[in-house]
Amino acid sequence: MSDATSPTAPQHDAVLGIRKDLIQRYSTLVVLALMFVIFSLTVDRFLTSQNLLNIAQQISMLTIVGAGLTFGFAAREMDLSVGYAVGMAGILVPLMLISGVPLPVAILGGLAAGLAIGATNALLVTVVGIPSLIATLATGSILFGINFLSTGGRAIYGGLPDAYLWLGQGRIAGIPVLAFFMVAVVAVAWFVMERTVFGRYIYAVGGNQKAAELSGVTVRRYRAAALIVCSVFAVIAGMLLAARLGSGQPNAGERYLLDGLATVFIGMTMLRPGTATVLGTFFGALFIGIINNGLNLIGMDTYIQSIVKGAIILIAVAIVSRSTKLNLL
Amino acid sequence: MDITLSNITMQFPGTRALDDVSLALHTGEVHGLIGENGAGKSTLVSILGGSLAPTSGSIAIGSEKLHLTSPRAALLRGIAHVSQEGSLVPALTGAENIFLGAEPRRFGVIHRAALRAAATEALSRWFPEVAIDLDRPVGELPMADRKVIEIVRALRGQVHLLILDEPTATLPVREKEQLWRIIRSLPPRGVGVVLISHFLSEIKALSDRITVLRDGRLIATEPADRMSEGRMVDLMLRRTDDTRRASANVHAPPTGNPVLALRNWRSGRIEVSDFTLHEGEIVGLIGLTGAGHVGFARALHNPAGVQVDALSIAGRPVSPRDVRAMLSAGLALVPDHRMEYALIGDWDLRENLAMVHTRHAATAGILFPRKEEAEARRVMRLLNVKAHGSGQALKTLSGGNKQKISIGKWLYGAEGRYRVMIFIEPTEGVDIGAKAEIYAEMRRLAAQGVGILIASSDLGEVAELAHRVIPFTGGRPGPAIPATEFSEARFIQSMSGVAA
Repeated sequence: MSDATSPTAPQHDAVLGIRKDLIQRYSTLVVLALMFVIFSLTVDRFLTSQNLLNIAQQISMLTIVGAGLTFGFAAREMDLSVGYAVGMAGILVPLMLISGVPLPVAILGGLAAGLAIGATNALLVTVVGIPSLIATLATGSILFGINFLSTGGRAIYGGLPDAYLWLGQGRIAGIPVLAFFMVAVVAVAWFVMERTVFGRYIYAVGGNQKAAELSGVTVRRYRAAALIVCSVFAVIAGMLLAARLGSGQPNAGERYLLDGLATVFIGMTMLRPGTATVLGTFFGALFIGIINNGLNLIGMDTYIQSIVKGAIILIAVAIVSRSTKLNLL
Repeated sequence: MDITLSNITMQFPGTRALDDVSLALHTGEVHGLIGENGAGKSTLVSILGGSLAPTSGSIAIGSEKLHLTSPRAALLRGIAHVSQEGSLVPALTGAENIFLGAEPRRFGVIHRAALRAAATEALSRWFPEVAIDLDRPVGELPMADRKVIEIVRALRGQVHLLILDEPTATLPVREKEQLWRIIRSLPPRGVGVVLISHFLSEIKALSDRITVLRDGRLIATEPADRMSEGRMVDLMLRRTDDTRRASANVHAPPTGNPVLALRNWRSGRIEVSDFTLHEGEIVGLIGLTGAGHVGFARALHNPAGVQVDALSIAGRPVSPRDVRAMLSAGLALVPDHRMEYALIGDWDLRENLAMVHTRHAATAGILFPRKEEAEARRVMRLLNVKAHGSGQALKTLSGGNKQKISIGKWLYGAEGRYRVMIFIEPTEGVDIGAKAEIYAEMRRLAAQGVGILIASSDLGEVAELAHRVIPFTGGRPGPAIPATEFSEARFIQSMSGVAA
């Protein structure tokens, strides 16, 4: 059959005089704004500068993990080891600091660990040929074991230098240092994805791997790079997380996997529906941050929060799946 | 009984695929349906088979009007459609495929013995002369046997009309003959056949009447014995003296330097001992499915696993490692199945055009959107791409405009860089207007000294563009056919390995 039989572009359809593609692109943002307004009107301590800065602080690590996963999703690779990579950096860096390693060296050590994790994942996926979903599930399990063995399951605290703690707890002109990190990471990630040849090729590999290959793109290199970015961003978040908590917790990173994936999924419902984008992920993190914060302030049970969050992710993914193919494997 | 199509019109966005087509089909005849790619044949039989609803017009069986809302609805009214691609499940046996979805059951599970008996009975009732092992997975059967199984399955119900879309396209010659006998045996038993085929000799031999479509319009319906192959081609192509003269002009063979030369090329079962393509030359590669002409064209661009004694592009030796090596040597490919092999539907036109030479609009890896935009617009103007702007999503374009973008990828930031351009099925799913523009672009490239290879199943297209044609059979190229000897009959003979 000829291409002429394919259906028309959706933008010719309209609901209440609004173009359908616009509705699709911005409906999640409208929901986000509505949620913000409702919490502002109904929850006492929600709309205060202190609480808004709190939200920024709370979502900063999540945004950084999500930004890394965005690279993975853009290249159609899934990284399920990010949660344990967050945990590993959050143990490794405090351990080094406590044993007297200077802060810059410890941070470089953390980044090197991220590179090593990412390179391992990349090797398994692009050279050995294991699908990323399975490869990273396995490496995640291995990291989990290492995290608990190396700490005996106990938290690492005491004796962390002030300069390190400042990264996670300090403020500049009243604004949390973490928020600056978040903005910087989002800005860099956005620029790389939207304004560089590297980002364009990551999207090409995810958009149509065969076409990218026949256009002369070294597909394997960009799939590998996307997985490495996932791990490196995860260890950055892990180092900041331990600084914020003031201790290294072997299980602190776990929730960043599911929440991180959720930020990307929610982000994929907006802007360029079906495609992971850095700004979409940022709004996804904001979405989750506002829900968590608002429900916390109301005093809702954490388990109910988890149910609400799960339902929201399902709705978001349902919206995307209805309009575009969501091929993740 | 007659099945009557009245004033069928099918409007797709940007194209009128069928324009007021009226046709009466008899259940006692084989009705040949011919036309170029994109002439509307597939659209017409899709409407008849219930998988497309026409924009306007009606279908009636006898005097009763039909509302065919699905292939199933058409089947219930006795119209069955065997599509070109095949719809068998390779892992299931012939018997299982024949009764797919209608398996005899006992105690809620498939009754295997009854299934085999019924399938064997159906096959021997329809085609007693055919012996097929119905217990083997159809994936292991010869292509002709698979077609027979599809036909038996289609004849499961009370069928008045059987649509066969290119049934012999994938078959070797000796297997074709079996299928021809089967097709001829149906009308005497009350099953009319609508036959689509690119092989005009086949259409002529099998059909009682022949209908020619061109640009979505019915050009003629005539008894087969009054239609010569030459007349069919003339009707399909709307040849006038002018276009004949125009194509005669470009057929003068160019005498430039070689842009592609190779010796002892082997990839899989494809073996080419000697091949040279000259500056400005257009060479057509033809063959039946699996003959190797498409495989050769693909492997020139993506030469993983190729062994070759000597290969040079534009006079320089090349070692065929991978796609990148061939691209940097100056060889590009505009593939078939463009949405699968060339383009990204969700991307806009600018991003698609910039896919290969992305760095043209970048400095130190950083993209400059305005520069990219300017170059994309230049290419879109050059190829006369009809779109709202370079920001339009690619998937919303018509087939012809998509194909122009697929060609444009090799012009973006690289005008004059490629010395060899290979086209596989260059006008697959392209409407007639865009087709002419694509031909003009190929001739423009050739005039600039680019050597062009076209692997196409559209023989009219090859005849119109090429300076010489190389027919492939069994993975090997046969002797080249010079332009002076071009004819549909000669092409078909050479493709089937029959001496002229």
